[in-house]
Amino acid sequence: MLGERVSRASTLLEDVDALLRRAGAHANDLEALAVGVGPGSFTGTRIGLAAAQGLALALDIPAAGVSTLDALAAGAPGAQTVIDARRREIFVAGPRVLAPADLALEHGTVLVGDGAIRYRELLEAAGAEVPPDDDERHLPRARFHAALARNFGPAELVEPLYVRQPDARPDK
Amino acid sequence: MILGIETSCDETAAALVTLDGEIKANVVSSQADLHARYGGVVPEVASRRHLELVMPVLREALDEAGATLDEVERVAVTQGPGLVGALLVGLSTAKALAWARRLPLVPVDHLHGHVASLYLEPDPVEPPFICLLASGGHTLLLDVRAYGGFDVLGTTLDDAAGEAFDKGARLLGLGYPGGAAIDRLARGGDATAFSFPVARLDGLDFSFSGVKTSLLYAIRDLGDRLEACRSDLAASYQRAIVRALVQGALAAAEQAGRDTIAVVGGVAANSELRAALPGARFAPLALCTDNAAMIASAGRYSRPLPYPRYLDLDAYASRV
Repeated sequence: MLGERVSRASTLLEDVDALLRRAGAHANDLEALAVGVGPGSFTGTRIGLAAAQGLALALDIPAAGVSTLDALAAGAPGAQTVIDARRREIFVAGPRVLAPADLALEHGTVLVGDGAIRYRELLEAAGAEVPPDDDERHLPRARFHAALARNFGPAELVEPLYVRQPDARPDK
Repeated sequence: MILGIETSCDETAAALVTLDGEIKANVVSSQADLHARYGGVVPEVASRRHLELVMPVLREALDEAGATLDEVERVAVTQGPGLVGALLVGLSTAKALAWARRLPLVPVDHLHGHVASLYLEPDPVEPPFICLLASGGHTLLLDVRAYGGFDVLGTTLDDAAGEAFDKGARLLGLGYPGGAAIDRLARGGDATAFSFPVARLDGLDFSFSGVKTSLLYAIRDLGDRLEACRSDLAASYQRAIVRALVQGALAAAEQAGRDTIAVVGGVAANSELRAALPGARFAPLALCTDNAAMIASAGRYSRPLPYPRYLDLDAYASRV
């Protein structure tokens, strides 16, 4: 591993730039891309995928998508992953979206992810264990995306995992 | 060449334009059919579709121009105003593309893009002029003093002109987008059959919410007789909107002392508006609705941000 940074969607490319500089590498040195496809923030997921598509087109390299739930799980062996889906819901393995209270839990199950932090009280009351907020297992790390990436191909074929449909309902 | 990318609303677009303003490729993939089911643009639906379309549209633009990315010297992309989630798809793609190829990038204001649709070959308009920008999202009177910018003289206080067409079309049982549908239906109608007054305001601002309400009441009052009057209603409604736009444009030209009036944006395709301003310059029909050629064109007149000084750019929903 030459380097890793934790980024937010809005600063993604700044961090990519800094990461490569730190590693003494150039964009042309990239041979393939691994990109998180969610579930999570719709806009954040799209920023990652759009950036990956732009990079793949510019550099003529392939890409592979990795579920954010899988990347989290890879960094937290034995734990279940819970991502905040907003609107008082969570994304869990499946992938599925459900209310935190509807998550079936065995006593002592370890839960990681921003959804586990957000609903800590409720989940702990139901018997789960949630590591401290600053435990690094709560964050999906790019090194796990890179390690899990399989089946590299054209970037435009990498699909986002939205799980939830848009709210709008057709008129007719 | 300049590569232009536009994803501010419901058109995914890419274009290649030379530094001299010649269009080499102009690809627009409209999502209108997708949004017609909802009666208007749904931001989350639009953003999802942009992500699916942006790569195919970019590849098609390169094919159409017979060009490769090696010939692209600059990337121009819409930064706002528009739907932020939609804008971020184009902006993120553009930043990544420019960064990976060490190119400069020009963030373009969508409204400046519409004005710059007038600067493309083969028949460019030269500033200064008064520009009426009328679309589904905007209705503006602009004093365009120079290529790089403009002063806003007037704007709509409520609905945009194109929005008034869309809402009117919905009341008349026509599809989305409504402008073209009303234009067609109005051709067989009597524009003097109904009176739909548009509010007169001090200065050069517009208001279109009242005319829409007048149409609603007229439709209610007609009851069973509505079917026989639909083309008259469309013609009268269109006449009211067009008259307000024409009066505004003429007053702006007089106030600013400009000889030339130019019209851009989706409503610039309206046949009655084109007929009502015979001396005006209109954007070519293909460049009235949102497209990326106009964004690339605007990219000729703004200073590009050098590599990699654009990586922190964010999209904006509206002009401050």
